[in-house]
Amino acid sequence: MNSIAPAVELIEVTRHFGDVKALNAVSLTIQQGEFFAMLGPSGSGKTTCLRLIAGFDQPSSGHIRIAGQDATALPPYERDVNTVFQDYALFPHMTLGDNIGYSLMLKKVPKSERLKRVADMLDLVQLSGLEHRKPAQLSGGQRQRVALARALVNQPKMLLLDEPLGALDLKLRQQMQIELKTIQRQLGITFIFVTHDQEEALTMSDRLAVFNQGKIEQMGSPVEVYERPATAFVANFVGVSNWISGQLAQLLTGSAQSFVLRPEKIQMLDPNLPPPADLCSAMGKIKNILYLGMYTRYEIGLQPEGLLSVVEQNRQSSHWAEGDAVRLLWQREHLVMI
Amino acid sequence: MYIKLSHILEKLYSSIIVLLSSIFKFSAFLYRLWFRRLISVLLCTFLLLVNTGGAIAASSVGAVKKVGSGEGAVSILAWPGYIERGETDPSYDWVTGFEAETSCKVSVKTAATSDEMVTLMNQGRYDVVTASGDATRRLIAGGKVQEVNIDLVPSWNQVDPRLQNASWHTVDGKHYGVPYQWGSNVLMYNTDTFSQPPTSWNVVFEEQILPDGKSNKGRVQAYDGPIYIADAALYLKAHQPELGITDPYELTRPQFKAAIALLKQQRQLVSRYWHDANVQVDDFTNEGMVASGSWPFQVNLLQGNQASVKSTIPTEGATGWADTTMIHAQAPHPNCAYKWLEHSISPKVQGDVAAWFGSVPTVPQACEGNALLGAEGCKTNGADNFDKISFWHTPIADCGDGTRQCVPYSEWASNYLAVIGSR
Amino acid sequence: MSSSPKRRQIANFLYSRPNVLLLLLLSLPLLWFGGVYVSSLMTLLLQSFFHLDDFTGQVVHEFTFSTYRALLTEANLRIVLRTVTMAIAVSITTIFLAFPIAFYMARYATPPVKAALYLAVVLPLWANYLVRVYAWKLILAKEGILTWLIHLFHLDGLLNLLLSLPGIGGSSLSVSTIGMFLAFVYLWLPYMILPLEAALERVPQSLMEASADLGGKPWQSFRHVLLPLAFPGVVAGSIFTFSLTLGDFITPSVLGNSSPFIGQAIYVQQGTAGNVPLAAAFTVVPMVIMLIYLAGAKRLGAFDAL
Repeated sequence: MNSIAPAVELIEVTRHFGDVKALNAVSLTIQQGEFFAMLGPSGSGKTTCLRLIAGFDQPSSGHIRIAGQDATALPPYERDVNTVFQDYALFPHMTLGDNIGYSLMLKKVPKSERLKRVADMLDLVQLSGLEHRKPAQLSGGQRQRVALARALVNQPKMLLLDEPLGALDLKLRQQMQIELKTIQRQLGITFIFVTHDQEEALTMSDRLAVFNQGKIEQMGSPVEVYERPATAFVANFVGVSNWISGQLAQLLTGSAQSFVLRPEKIQMLDPNLPPPADLCSAMGKIKNILYLGMYTRYEIGLQPEGLLSVVEQNRQSSHWAEGDAVRLLWQREHLVMI
Repeated sequence: MYIKLSHILEKLYSSIIVLLSSIFKFSAFLYRLWFRRLISVLLCTFLLLVNTGGAIAASSVGAVKKVGSGEGAVSILAWPGYIERGETDPSYDWVTGFEAETSCKVSVKTAATSDEMVTLMNQGRYDVVTASGDATRRLIAGGKVQEVNIDLVPSWNQVDPRLQNASWHTVDGKHYGVPYQWGSNVLMYNTDTFSQPPTSWNVVFEEQILPDGKSNKGRVQAYDGPIYIADAALYLKAHQPELGITDPYELTRPQFKAAIALLKQQRQLVSRYWHDANVQVDDFTNEGMVASGSWPFQVNLLQGNQASVKSTIPTEGATGWADTTMIHAQAPHPNCAYKWLEHSISPKVQGDVAAWFGSVPTVPQACEGNALLGAEGCKTNGADNFDKISFWHTPIADCGDGTRQCVPYSEWASNYLAVIGSR
Repeated sequence: MSSSPKRRQIANFLYSRPNVLLLLLLSLPLLWFGGVYVSSLMTLLLQSFFHLDDFTGQVVHEFTFSTYRALLTEANLRIVLRTVTMAIAVSITTIFLAFPIAFYMARYATPPVKAALYLAVVLPLWANYLVRVYAWKLILAKEGILTWLIHLFHLDGLLNLLLSLPGIGGSSLSVSTIGMFLAFVYLWLPYMILPLEAALERVPQSLMEASADLGGKPWQSFRHVLLPLAFPGVVAGSIFTFSLTLGDFITPSVLGNSSPFIGQAIYVQQGTAGNVPLAAAFTVVPMVIMLIYLAGAKRLGAFDAL
């Protein structure tokens, strides 16, 4: 097998259910060893895309290649791809050991080797010794790890994860994010990760695609996507943005184009202090202060019109109060033209 | 297979014994307690009813001495079609007149089998029952019917003398009822297959090539009831005289065994036994059946459907049934019951019933001048076959001579079940 | 008005003692169940330990095992064996027939199709049972429609071969065990489809996908995932088909070669022979068989989900 071939290629893939186009002529290439995230709101087509790659569903048109070979019509059991399901899909009638060893059992791997590999996998997901439990006796986080172990035991070339952390609470989710990332580095296999949580996508992935209405809005590294959103949808869906267009754009930039400006890129200054020369600036008044723990968000009313969000780290206690006049500063390059 | 199975079952059975015997001891105690109470309650009700009964106290000891005036009602347990008040066909009515004449209001309960009749007689409060020969002796032995004083039945002398002392209602010279109707089982055959009527029952008992050149295997039927063992015995009576069968209903063990062996041989020929007259009619129409022991009823029905069947009574003779009207030992309305007994053997009633039911009257006089029956009615229904018929009566262990060497009916039932299941 | 505080008192009393309330609510149905079902069953069991006096034809109310000894004759064991064999054959066949239908209903049918299928499955149950059995008698008769159809397609040879099979053949389908078997399968199929469909519906689609994803070919996924998870449904359905076949005495009396089944034996012993103890002992047989069957099913984990 050609090792340089991309892990997955989608070529003009369309999938419609009746009149609804769940996926509309999507083309996508994922390289081997990548941690790739598919981000988007529900119904955006990201899960459909994943199911097509896994083989649970067939495209209405277009082609799918896995490791350089056409896999469009290949059934799931003939694809060297494994999946971690959103609901984990653990077999309730089997023990953890049997769940994890299922694919090995189907491949008729000798029992002794099977047991060893299952034990190794349980080690990897830190559930050693629980072979004989049934899924119903586990917590959500534990089940999630079993699902992961089951999908990895067969050493697939590629792992698909469908919102795997969605059912976990925040602490556990953050912990699992790190663990997943570590495991991926350790094993060096391709991870394709579906999520609607932009933070998760940004933290974990090497590259991500933002889906909307069956199309990919933008694809790139987390920094690219965050810093330079290609569309208004991306700008709004990934992080929070100030949307600058029309009169406000005219006022702030002197141009009729639309721009996006991330709230944390804006600095607030005492209006009486002189503005640094190389920065853009605008005058405004604090309308609202939202204390959010790690940072505080301010809503600034501009003069004569317009509203901008500004976020400041709470490195020290804030000295701003509602009604204060402020000067807003930002670098020109942070103003992203859409 | 059987040895293994029974071995397993026996093991199972011995372990169940331990468990159940302890439960049993307690519940048997409760059962007896409960049973006694039930009996005493029943006795009290019975005594109350008898006391209001009127003129004469019914009892199983000795017959009634005279018939008083009617109690205003009489309840009859009968075969379907035996008691008609013109509701199905207005010209068949032998109840309304009786009611007008005696003021005894008639109520009828029908039973479908002899066994049902016996059960109902054991439980219920009926005055009169029209029992077949396979039930009468059970009722007499069980003390459920009372002796009938024939002097109180004026028309008794008109009853066919051959039936007056028939063993199924006469015990030790005592009469326990008045004959009502009789009929014969027949050999029904397909006229396309048999150009001449078959002369022997061997067409249903022995494998053979029938006149149409094909084997009788799978084309003959037999009755699905233990009493059919008597048909086999009747056949053996003629063909194996060394067995010494005299009455096909009183069989010693060797005789019984021979009959069962014959029936097992017949089992190979019979693809399906009949128990329901309509099913047999259907089998003769759709299944290519050509010969079977049957009732005149099916013959009439099939002939009515233009099927090419006829019936005959072969040389060995045939089994048949004779019904007797009996009075319950604790009849609440004995006077009305006696009035019904007298009414039931009036020539008019006898002729009408025979016409309606396809049976033969027990009063020869009834065969003449009955509009419903017609001039040939009795002959059509088999009146001339009397001497060829062995009438149904219940097989009991007592062979009639006081010895207990005969095979009782419960064994007939089990063994016949085994015969049918032997294939 | 004056009763209001009293009523409230009662209400409060019951509210604070939910067990009393439960007892009150359950007492009537429990009495009915205990009185009518359990006690009559006990009476029946008791009857089987009496025996019939052959001479008088009366039941002797004395504890004995002679009735059970009479039950263990070859002829009776044949009856039991015949009935159980038929029940097993019918159950297995209905499982195979019902599975695809139930699977289609549970997985693929759109709501209107599903409703139509439900109706189609249940509809025959609305027609009288006797009518349906007699209809089968006519269908399977030597001069019936099925034989005619077979003749039309020149398959007489095949039919004759089938009917010449020892043990299950006969002179026509109607009088053969095969015919009875067909009628039984027809009669009890709905009782297998419905629980099976319910069980299959409860197996999430993602489990089947997970199995395929892990390399399970369709039949492997079926064998290792769907079947074990639908097993309670199979057991529930087969309890119906099995016990209904065990207890039926009408179909074997209308179709087949008159060889008696347990139900007919009970009928004859009770109705014709008046041997109530033996009939009661016979009644115990299907109960014991069902208990063994249920114990087996429990061992296989059919009730783990209950």
